[in-house]
Amino acid sequence: MEKSSLNNLMNRIQKNRDEIAFSEIFDFFAPKINAYFIQNRIKIESSEELTQEVLSTVWVKSNLYDSTKSALSTWIFTIARNKKIDFFRKNSKINFQEEDIREFLYQDREVDPIEENEAKKQIERINNELDEQQKIMIKMNFFENKSHKKIADELEIPLGTVKSRIRHILTKMQGFLR
Amino acid sequence: MNGTVVKNQLIFDFASGILGPAKSLFASTYLQLNSNASKISNTFENMLGENLMDNENIHPKNLKYTDCINNENIQSASNPKDPVTSFFGNLNNLNWKQVYKGFKEYTASIDDKDELKLIKMDPGVSVPLHSHGGKEYILVLEGSFCDEYGEYSKGDIQINDQKIKHTPIASKDTGCVCLSITEKDVIFFGKYGSFLNLFTFIKSFFKQK
Repeated sequence: MEKSSLNNLMNRIQKNRDEIAFSEIFDFFAPKINAYFIQNRIKIESSEELTQEVLSTVWVKSNLYDSTKSALSTWIFTIARNKKIDFFRKNSKINFQEEDIREFLYQDREVDPIEENEAKKQIERINNELDEQQKIMIKMNFFENKSHKKIADELEIPLGTVKSRIRHILTKMQGFLR
Repeated sequence: MNGTVVKNQLIFDFASGILGPAKSLFASTYLQLNSNASKISNTFENMLGENLMDNENIHPKNLKYTDCINNENIQSASNPKDPVTSFFGNLNNLNWKQVYKGFKEYTASIDDKDELKLIKMDPGVSVPLHSHGGKEYILVLEGSFCDEYGEYSKGDIQINDQKIKHTPIASKDTGCVCLSITEKDVIFFGKYGSFLNLFTFIKSFFKQK
């Protein structure tokens, strides 16, 4: 689906609480979000529950989304990521004082729209300058949160090579992010 | 290691959602106070958002869109607050511990791996020359401090590793309040060095339960 049509759907949800528009957003994103949780080693029962929470948040908090500030996929990614953090925290052995810190840690940050355009240019640059394997490594490392060892096994290259290539990608990205 | 690399690593790890609670609190405060860091984080989140856009599809078996519309567990938007105030409350009301004259700290136990601390230094107060067993992250919340490497004010972070020895001094006008993360205990040098090392050594005994 095109980004502009996703934005139109989101607009209809924000303005008219349009359930049909939401069902289309659901159809597009639910399988991708569900896959994201499974890639992050969350079992299928929980992944579907988390997917439900993410898309419920999109529906309930639709007014928080601002298309001039970020792409819809970015906004939904941050919601999914935050649910993942909550999930691992709730399932860790540590006992946190009070309700724990998740409530207020991940509130939406204000982003200047002009900076947002800059960000888009940076992404284009990054996409142009990284080769396919580097992009796959970024996805495995930061999106799927796989260990360097796991990445080495899956790509069938030595661990040391993975480490040095990821370091190289990060150094390269420092340049893009200036 | 290059300071920028370590700072960006913190931002990337935050954006990926792999930091523990202490570092998450630290990083989200950093992003809130430092617009450049926030911009970097946003760029990285955009990249990860693209990954979501192009991600493979694994269809949920037992989930319909109506389940999301009728889910009452999700509350509508609350007002964003800053992480430090939300977590610690009013800093003036905390039970600060005086480490020595003009230097107070407050330790929060939210993480078993990293130690999260608030540090308050009165104007002109300094910390004896020391280095660090593990990495130390310092974020200035109020005021400023300087050391052999430069001046740090609100929203700046300093990341120190084993190789760094420094003598931070709080600004003479404002003093400073900082948020800090320590991965392991600090090693002191100089006049009071051996005493302070003994102190952290003894303290580590009480930490082991």
